[in-house]
Amino acid sequence: MNSVGEGCTELKREYDQCFNRWFAEKFLKGDRSADPCSELFHKYHTCVQKAIKEKDIPVEGVEFMGANREKADS
Amino acid sequence: MKIWTSEHVFNHPWETVTKAAMQKYPNPMNPSVFGVDVLDRNVDQQGRLHSKRLLSTEWGLPSIVRSIIGNTRTCTYIQEHSVVDPKEKTFELQSTNITFTNMVSVDERLIYRPHPEDPEKTMLTQEAIISVKGISLSSYLEGIMASTISTNAGKGREAMEWVIRRLNTEIEELAITARGTLRTPMAAAVTEK
Repeated sequence: MNSVGEGCTELKREYDQCFNRWFAEKFLKGDRSADPCSELFHKYHTCVQKAIKEKDIPVEGVEFMGANREKADS
Repeated sequence: MKIWTSEHVFNHPWETVTKAAMQKYPNPMNPSVFGVDVLDRNVDQQGRLHSKRLLSTEWGLPSIVRSIIGNTRTCTYIQEHSVVDPKEKTFELQSTNITFTNMVSVDERLIYRPHPEDPEKTMLTQEAIISVKGISLSSYLEGIMASTISTNAGKGREAMEWVIRRLNTEIEELAITARGTLRTPMAAAVTEK
């Protein structure tokens, strides 16, 4: 699966692999230890935020400077 | 405004269905979803996992139409908030479109829970609220959209079965590989005699 930011797909894959493993083997089994994926997520997240800003996607509740959210799509 | 609801039972336990739902895309039944991104994720005080995701979807218009009106204008973006409660065994998702909001609003809610009568099965309750804005014939269009959502929900369930089969195959293949790596040294030890 791709990321909305074309350059972020590889970072996304690495993060997803880490998360899916922790989710299935720890979280769902009641293991409360924190996921080991924060660094991977941070790199991926930075990339995605940039892509969202560039594409002007009106995401809510995410830091998003300079876009006019009231802009109507037509 | 149109409200559509449905209930479905999967013949798999809740953990299996939840793992699959988390990895639902890509799958051949929902080809219009071309991008999934995690915007945020955290575990709350009660141990529930919250995820905020962005889904990028493409209408599937013919490429000539896309080249005329431009690629960005045929993308629809959906924002999804989900909560997994591993103690209560619930996986709840809510999503809404964040583009074309001046024309239409589609809010969907899904809850996966163990089946109340059979813990080896999972119940999915789904609902969608559709609103077409500002034009007459809106209730007619809402009816069409509800019917499309119903068809897509069927595809979504097929998609889940596809993901579950894929995950099970991966597990089997790992087991076969593990057995294979054990057999080779064992076979070598036997033939050496």
